[in-house]
Amino acid sequence: MKRRTLLAGLAGALAAAPLTRLHAQQKTTIRWWYHFDDPKMTPDELVAAFEKANPGIKIQAESIPWGGGGDYDTRLYTSLIAGNGPDTAMVKFGNLARLMEMDALRPLDTWIDSWAGKSDISDDLWRLHTAPDGKRYYMPLQYVVLYLYVRLDLLAKQNLKAPTNFDEFLAVAKAMTGGQQWGFGMRGGSGGHDSWMPFVFGTGAKPVKGGFVSPAALAQNRYFIDLYRTHKVCPPSAPTDSFVQIVNNLKAGRVAMAVHHISTANDMAATFGDAITAVPVPRGPAGTGWATYGDGSNCVFSASKNPEAAWKWISWLSEGPNNVMYNKTVAQMTVTKSGAANWTGHPKRFVDATVNSLPIAAVLPNLPQTADFTRVVWPQTTQKALLGQIQPDEMMQTFEKLFFG
Amino acid sequence: MRRVVTPWVFLAPALVATAVLVLLPVLNTLWLSLHQVILFRPRSRPFVGLENYAKALADPVFWEALRHSLIWVLCAVTLQFSFGFMAALLLNRSFAWRGIARALIVVPWALPSVIIGLIWTWMLDFNLGVLNHLGVRLGLLSASVPWLAQAGTAMASVILALMWQGIPFFAVTLLAGLQAIPAELYEVASIDGAGAWGKFRHITLPGLASVIATALLLRMIWVANSLDLILVMTGGGPGTATQTLPLHAFLTAWSGGNYGQGSALAVMLTILLLGVVITYVWRSRER
Repeated sequence: MKRRTLLAGLAGALAAAPLTRLHAQQKTTIRWWYHFDDPKMTPDELVAAFEKANPGIKIQAESIPWGGGGDYDTRLYTSLIAGNGPDTAMVKFGNLARLMEMDALRPLDTWIDSWAGKSDISDDLWRLHTAPDGKRYYMPLQYVVLYLYVRLDLLAKQNLKAPTNFDEFLAVAKAMTGGQQWGFGMRGGSGGHDSWMPFVFGTGAKPVKGGFVSPAALAQNRYFIDLYRTHKVCPPSAPTDSFVQIVNNLKAGRVAMAVHHISTANDMAATFGDAITAVPVPRGPAGTGWATYGDGSNCVFSASKNPEAAWKWISWLSEGPNNVMYNKTVAQMTVTKSGAANWTGHPKRFVDATVNSLPIAAVLPNLPQTADFTRVVWPQTTQKALLGQIQPDEMMQTFEKLFFG
Repeated sequence: MRRVVTPWVFLAPALVATAVLVLLPVLNTLWLSLHQVILFRPRSRPFVGLENYAKALADPVFWEALRHSLIWVLCAVTLQFSFGFMAALLLNRSFAWRGIARALIVVPWALPSVIIGLIWTWMLDFNLGVLNHLGVRLGLLSASVPWLAQAGTAMASVILALMWQGIPFFAVTLLAGLQAIPAELYEVASIDGAGAWGKFRHITLPGLASVIATALLLRMIWVANSLDLILVMTGGGPGTATQTLPLHAFLTAWSGGNYGQGSALAVMLTILLLGVVITYVWRSRER
C-alpha cells in the first residue's frame, strides 16, 4: 500500500513537473512597434536589460518602416482597426489627433502621477505632451529641438557672430552669400516645415485659428520666402532640398547656416570640430521665439490586453539611466533632467542650444490635418511660393483654410 | 456533360486567382469610391454615391494632374518607342559584340524603379550631380542647374529617367518582331530595286504593325499608372509640377487618409485607360 502510494505520488509529481515549468515560463509578451532613423540601430540591448529586470515580461520589438511617416502611420492605423495592433508603439504628435479620434489610446495620467520618474522630466516636456483634452496619452521618450547650425569659421572671416534675431540673421546670410556659397541652407523639401516654423512664428504669431493669417505671421512668411526669392541667400535647389541636401551643403561649406537638431551634432562635430556651433533660432524684437519641438514618444493602446506590462516597458524606457542608454542608441536627447545634467551623448554646446531652446519649444496644432500638412500640403504650397507660382500670403491662407476652415 | 465541365475544371485555379487578386480589389475600390472612407475614422463610412467623383471633378488639382499625366504618357512613351525602335533596328544587324549589346540593353529594365529614381536624382543633383558637373566642364552649362527644383525642368527630368528605363522594353519587343519578318521579303525587295527607306516603309513597318500597337498600348497603360519614379525623384514637386493623376490619388489616400476620394481618383483613371483599350480593340476588330 505504502509502495503504491509512494509510486502514485511520484507519478503525480513527475506529471505535474512540466506544468510547473510551463507556469514558471509563462511570460506576458508585449508587442512594441518602433522606428529608428538609422537602420543599423537596434533596441536589442535595451530589451535584454528590461527583460532581465522584469523576468515576467517579454518584449517583442518590431521595426516598422517609416516611409516619411505615412507608411508607419498607415500600418499602425490599419492594424489597430483590424484588431491586430501592437500593445505599445513609438508615436509622434503628428498622429495624436488621428489616434485620439480612433479612441485608440489609453490615458496614462494615473500611471504617470504615481510614477517615481515623473519629477525627473521637466514641466516643459509634460506641457508639450499634454493633449488638447488635458490628458496625457504620450510618454516622453526622446526629443530634439531645432536650432541653428552656424559655421563659425566662415563667419569669422568677416568678423561676424552668430545671429540672435531676424535682422542679424538676414545680415549674416547676405554677408555669407557669394559665388558658390550661400548664407542659409533652406529646406523646402520634405520635412522643411520644422525649420520654417521658427521663422513664421518667431515674432509672436501662433498656429491657432486666425494665426496663420495674422499680420505677424504673414510678415514673417514673406521674410522667409524673400530669403530665397529676393535676397537669394539660399542655394537655387532650396525648394526641393531635404535633410541629405542641407547636411551635405553645410558639410561642404556651400552654406554657412542651416536649421537642424542634435541628431546630426556628432557628425558635424566630427567633420568641423570647433568650427561649427549651434545657437537657438533667431528671436523677434520682443524676445519672442519659436523652436520646433521634435518629439518621439511611446503610448499604450486601448486595445492592449496587457496594459500594465506595456506601461512598465515604456516607463522603464523613460527612466533615468535607461533613457540615457536609449538616447545614446538613437542619438537624440534624453528626456530626463538627471540624464541631461551629465549628458555625454553630444558635445556640450549642442546640448546647451537644445536645452536653452526648451522654453520656446512648441508644436503644431494637434489636429487630424496636421499629418497631411507636414507630408504634402506644406511642401507643395511652400515650393509654389518659393518658385513664384503663388504669393506668400496665398500660401498662409491655404494653411489657415486647411487647419481651421 | 464532361466536355462542358472539364474545361472549367482546368480553368478554375486561374479564375480563382484572378478573382481574388484582381476582381475583388477592383470591386473593393469601387465600393470605397462610393463611400466616405477616412482611415482614422473607422466607425463612420457612409454611402455618398458619386460625391467623391464630383469633388474630384471640381478640384483644379485633378485637372492639373490629368494634364501632367497626358504630358507624362505622351512624351515618355514617344521617346521610349523612338529610341527603343532605333535600338531594335541596330540590334537586328550583325556586328561583333551584338550578343553583349543585347544583354546590356536589358539592364535599365531589370533595375527596380526606386533604384532608378535614386540614381537619376543624384545624377541630377544641383551640387553633386554628375550631369551638372559634366555640363559645366564641357561648356554646355554656365552653372549648375537645379533640375528637380524648377517647375520647367522637373517634368523633363523625370521623363528622361523613365525614358531610360523604358527603352529596353521596346527594343526587345520590336527586335523579336523584326526577327519574325521573313528575310526573303527583303531579298525580293532588293531584287525589285527597293532602297533602305522603301524596305522600311513597305516591309518593316507593316510587319511590325501589330507588335507596335500592342507594345504601345501596354506601355501607355503602365506609364499612365506608374508613380514610383516620380514619387522617389520629386514627390510630385516642386509644388505640383510633376504630380500626375495616380500620384494625386496615392497622396490623397496615403497622406490625407481619404481612401474614398483616392479610390474615386483611381477609378476615374481606370475609366480613362479603358477608353484607350476599348478603342484599340474596336479598331483591331475592324481590321
